[in-house]
Amino acid sequence: MQERKTTYEIPVGPIHPALKENIRFTFQVEGERIRSVDVKPGFVHRGIEYMGMRRNLIQVLYLSERICGICSISHPIVLTQAVEQAANIEVPPRAQYIRVIVSELERIHSHLLWAGVAAHELGFDTLLHLSWKVREKVMDILEELTGNRVDYALPIFGGVRRDIAAEQYPKLMEMIRYYRGLFEELSDTFLRDPSVEARTRDVGVLTPKEAHELCAVGPVARASGLRKDVRQDWPYLVYGDFDLTALTPEDHGVEVHGDVYDRIIVRLLEVAQSLDLVERCLREMPEGEITSFPKIPALLAYLKKAEGEGIGRHEAPRGEVIHYVRLEAGQEGPAVWKVKAPTYSNLMPWTPMFREQEIADIPIIAASIDPCMCCMDRVHVDRGDTREALDKQALLRLSWEKTRRVCG
Amino acid sequence: MTVDKVLDMLRTSAGEALTDPELRSRTVGVARPQEIKEVWAGISGQALVPAVRALADLAPLHLSVISGRDAGEDIELLYHLTVGYGTEGGEVLVTLRLMLPKTALRVPSLCGLIPGAETTEREKREFLGVAFEGITDDRNLFLPDDVTAHPWRADDEEIGGMVRRTVKWEERNAGT
Amino acid sequence: MNVLHVIWQSAVVVLGSGLLGLVYKGIDRKLAARMQGRIGPPLRQPFLDVGKLMVKENVVPRDAVPWLFHAAPILAVVASVTVLLYLPLGPFPPVLSGRGDLILILYLLAMPAVAMALGGFASGSPFASVGAQREIVMMMSYEFPLAVVVVGVVWRLATLGFSPAFSMVTVGSTPLWGLVGPLGVLGLALLFLCLLVVTPAELSKIPFDIPEAETEIAGGLLVEYSGVNLALFYLADAVKTVAMGALVVALFFPYGIASPLGLSGGWAALVDQLFFFVKVFAVVFVAVTTVRVAMARLKVDQVARGFWIPVTAAALAGLALLVLDKVVMG
Repeated sequence: MQERKTTYEIPVGPIHPALKENIRFTFQVEGERIRSVDVKPGFVHRGIEYMGMRRNLIQVLYLSERICGICSISHPIVLTQAVEQAANIEVPPRAQYIRVIVSELERIHSHLLWAGVAAHELGFDTLLHLSWKVREKVMDILEELTGNRVDYALPIFGGVRRDIAAEQYPKLMEMIRYYRGLFEELSDTFLRDPSVEARTRDVGVLTPKEAHELCAVGPVARASGLRKDVRQDWPYLVYGDFDLTALTPEDHGVEVHGDVYDRIIVRLLEVAQSLDLVERCLREMPEGEITSFPKIPALLAYLKKAEGEGIGRHEAPRGEVIHYVRLEAGQEGPAVWKVKAPTYSNLMPWTPMFREQEIADIPIIAASIDPCMCCMDRVHVDRGDTREALDKQALLRLSWEKTRRVCG
Repeated sequence: MTVDKVLDMLRTSAGEALTDPELRSRTVGVARPQEIKEVWAGISGQALVPAVRALADLAPLHLSVISGRDAGEDIELLYHLTVGYGTEGGEVLVTLRLMLPKTALRVPSLCGLIPGAETTEREKREFLGVAFEGITDDRNLFLPDDVTAHPWRADDEEIGGMVRRTVKWEERNAGT
Repeated sequence: MNVLHVIWQSAVVVLGSGLLGLVYKGIDRKLAARMQGRIGPPLRQPFLDVGKLMVKENVVPRDAVPWLFHAAPILAVVASVTVLLYLPLGPFPPVLSGRGDLILILYLLAMPAVAMALGGFASGSPFASVGAQREIVMMMSYEFPLAVVVVGVVWRLATLGFSPAFSMVTVGSTPLWGLVGPLGVLGLALLFLCLLVVTPAELSKIPFDIPEAETEIAGGLLVEYSGVNLALFYLADAVKTVAMGALVVALFFPYGIASPLGLSGGWAALVDQLFFFVKVFAVVFVAVTTVRVAMARLKVDQVARGFWIPVTAAALAGLALLVLDKVVMG
């Protein structure tokens, strides 16, 4: 019999319930099997780098927090590192510890958030509600420490803006005990549930070779067995003092498959690791200044004179973040600001993960890298020739008109 | 992996094409302060692939990102590579600087060596108009398929018009 | 029984089952929410949902086959309600007793799924097509064990001398548990378990909500439906839930509590009717609510394999035990 072309095309996105943000996958599908995939990002209105290069550095700092609502401490930490290198600014020890504490708290909340999303993609809503319920604890602590649940406005060039007060230590310790007590239950529900295992074992496999060649970062690379973690590989802040090791599924006592299940293992292990780190920071944190520039105008004046280049790197919950900054004397803002979010690096590894999987696996594989499209996307194109963009008032007016039409 | 080894490898593989190699350092850590050095060097287009191959042979190589800017007559590309992940404190950050005159915006692609370079090379192609020879896929990535303007080029009129239009629209909208 | 009689009884069943189905949906949602540590919607939420859908615009996609697209939801509702007319609802015999039997019910139960698949194919959307394919695969998987269960129970009844064996009146008035030997009880228990597994699949609930799979194919079969058509599918689902519960009750728990309590007349009918509602709800709670909060969605190949091998094997084993029981008991 002659072979006929039996594939058909399934578009997923730019708008699709499996995706929390806009991206377009075009799958070539045969029956329920995926033969190939084309990934097209670029649907989120951005232009942050462009905006940043037209603002002064303090404004850029606040802008950098809005690159990602979840990694909202990672980007400012990286930007401050880059600028501190470019302009030769010292950071007091206590400020370094505070940055580490908050970024580890962020890792806990991000991984729990991811766990809930992953459970929802699997259709396991009970687990979604459980994960998000226990996540509230760390959100409360973040609010207690910084005043905000997201966008903490904490780091500033040369330090941090808020100290951790003595009476806040017990609250942090109580949170650590709370999560340690819950850890068994959480890993039990995720790792020993037969239906979760049936849906994630050997699904979306990324081999170590592919992970290396495609420059995968973060939990995705580690779940494939690469011990790749900026905190371990490249000392920065106080991470070099901690003898940290990157966690892979082997640390859980299982063989590395490189599948979605392994990504769950790695993220759960990292929650425990972050708890240890926070506890250690609290124990070792010295007293002292929290910033080397208490006055913002002085800082701005200093930065305006500064000239140089700097790179900042950080292991955000999703993987490596890197910023490159170029300062030129006499200019308030950066001459160049390049942002690389983890999803940018994990875009290519998606392709081998999807190969030969089923349509039913699309949501969980897409979610397994913990994508953040808006961190990664670059621009919004306004052609000005087609329909005008609609503002809030116009949208409201249109919806009123439609209601009237429908209700007669 | 040590910085000296990386620098030696770059020197032997790129030879004359390596310009102004420089070690920059920063001090990190509180309990155990240590000095972290990183490599910055200029390189030519021809020497890029051999140099990166030499680094890849030396230790696990990761390409973080390529950043770039419009430097007037030239386009500057910065390859941010890291050599030797997987060992505690053993990773070396290497930044290779490539200046391309706007009259000849061509550079060999790293895709053959590091398939994961495709994303960032596609981005540089669409944003700065640099042609990567041997890239596995050169369609637009972040820009819509039919856009041919290069948003990071200071001399691109189409982008200038777009920005002016957006600013006008935002200002009008801000009042309502 | 005259025609008028049938008509008013049918009207009561149609209205009653719709209301009951929506009430069950409300309770199901509330209980599921509490099990997930949420507050959950108010009990009347399903009624509000239907009311809202009724006033919404009924959008027909450009690529759809309009007549089939509109016919599918009506077919689904009609088939679901018709099943109920053949099932004993509480102490009363089925409205259409004597005009059809269990085999007809099996076919009618398959109808809403077929209607949804037709509607899916008629939507002209790739998501709906995938959903429709999945629905057909699911049907092929669970229909065989379902048929084995029904045939097993009825065959054992027939061997005990009840006739007409396939009539719902006979099945619904004769609890088998006490009439068979120990082997037979074991066999019946196996068949009952199989039916409990088939129930959420028949109703497309997690872990078997594969044809709709919100996060995968955006609602699948229902993706293009809106307004009144969607409300009809919603109602069909509610009614079918009652029908499945009533079928399980009729096959395995046709007991009443009125006679043990020593009631008779109108009170007996009322108590048994209420007890019937409780029984149906118990089935729905066990087979749908608890299962859907405790599991992730499976994949269609996993479901097909699961139904074809272990569930079918269990159903056949149950049947074999019933046959053995017949041989032993004589």
